[in-house]
Amino acid sequence: MSGSSHAAAEAGDSPGKIKETKPRRRYELDDRGFDEVPRKYRKYYRKWEGPDDELAPNEALCPVCKIVMRSVRELRDGDQLYCMACMTRVRIVSGENGRLETRVTY
Amino acid sequence: MSEVGEVHDLDPEVFEREVRTFDHWFGAVQDYLSDLEHGHRADIASEELAADEVDRLTTALCNYAVAETAALEASSGLVRLAPNHASKIFLATQAVDEARHVEVILQRLEDIGVEDPAAEIERRANPAVREFKNRLLYLVDSNQWDLAIFAQNVSLEAMEFSAFRAHATVGDPVTCDMLERMLRDERRHLGFGENEIARCLRTDPSRGAQIASVKNELESLAINTFEYTAKELEVESDTITKLGRDYRDAVERLGL
Repeated sequence: MSGSSHAAAEAGDSPGKIKETKPRRRYELDDRGFDEVPRKYRKYYRKWEGPDDELAPNEALCPVCKIVMRSVRELRDGDQLYCMACMTRVRIVSGENGRLETRVTY
Repeated sequence: MSEVGEVHDLDPEVFEREVRTFDHWFGAVQDYLSDLEHGHRADIASEELAADEVDRLTTALCNYAVAETAALEASSGLVRLAPNHASKIFLATQAVDEARHVEVILQRLEDIGVEDPAAEIERRANPAVREFKNRLLYLVDSNQWDLAIFAQNVSLEAMEFSAFRAHATVGDPVTCDMLERMLRDERRHLGFGENEIARCLRTDPSRGAQIASVKNELESLAINTFEYTAKELEVESDTITKLGRDYRDAVERLGL
């Protein structure tokens, strides 16, 4: 779990309307010193350290500006994320082999 | 500081409105632009540069100066063309960012011993970046909102984003710190451009052909400038190839 502080694996809650059967792991986010967004949003982002930087299950890389977006929840197919550094909306999708990927939503 | 719920749960309209406000811009820049000296941290010791390093850095900075001046003149002109208040306000913040970039680049040129930066820019700037500037300003002057936004916030910004990241892998500490602070601004400009072009294409798909034509016309100028500058700085060719993908990825996402 390299990318985020791990808080607890709780009963599932979903940002979407569809009831999820498998609970999502939850995360308590800490401030990683990302200073490119207003202070109240900083814990939701961190710098990407390059190809060797392994993303945690609650993290995704912004395809536009290469910043790591962080959520309080484990990410799943269909989730929406916002990159406040470049003002982009991103959707999480299941790619080949079930690996989660990001798609920009315009 | 007010607490917020999960930021990713915001309504898309609330998000769109918020990120294009002056308050958002100010909250984003206030820490990374505080307590700087000439656009970089004051406590970074200046490295002694060899004559050939100064020469290469001067050429790179001269090219950046032309690109940033192009963006300053174009983004301020685009305020008048923007189709709504949110875009006008965003472009005004971009004009401020670009003015700061021009200022710190000119200052860096002076700091490394260039006595007359304007004359040096005139002497050294690559013809491709000059031509790019002329074509961008022509699009602004002829009121071509979407074409000018594509040229500036997609082509030019992606080129700068790649060039600054490449430079930051090989540059001296002072220049790297200055460029990394400029990159933080460029992220906003890139994102605005890509989202705005996508919105234009959604509203009027027939504009795609004209935007693609501007893309074809300008991308070789942008790529040539990036590759020329990166090679001048002796950036590894692998890094040049990888960073050059940013622009191609953006164009691919837009379907152009």
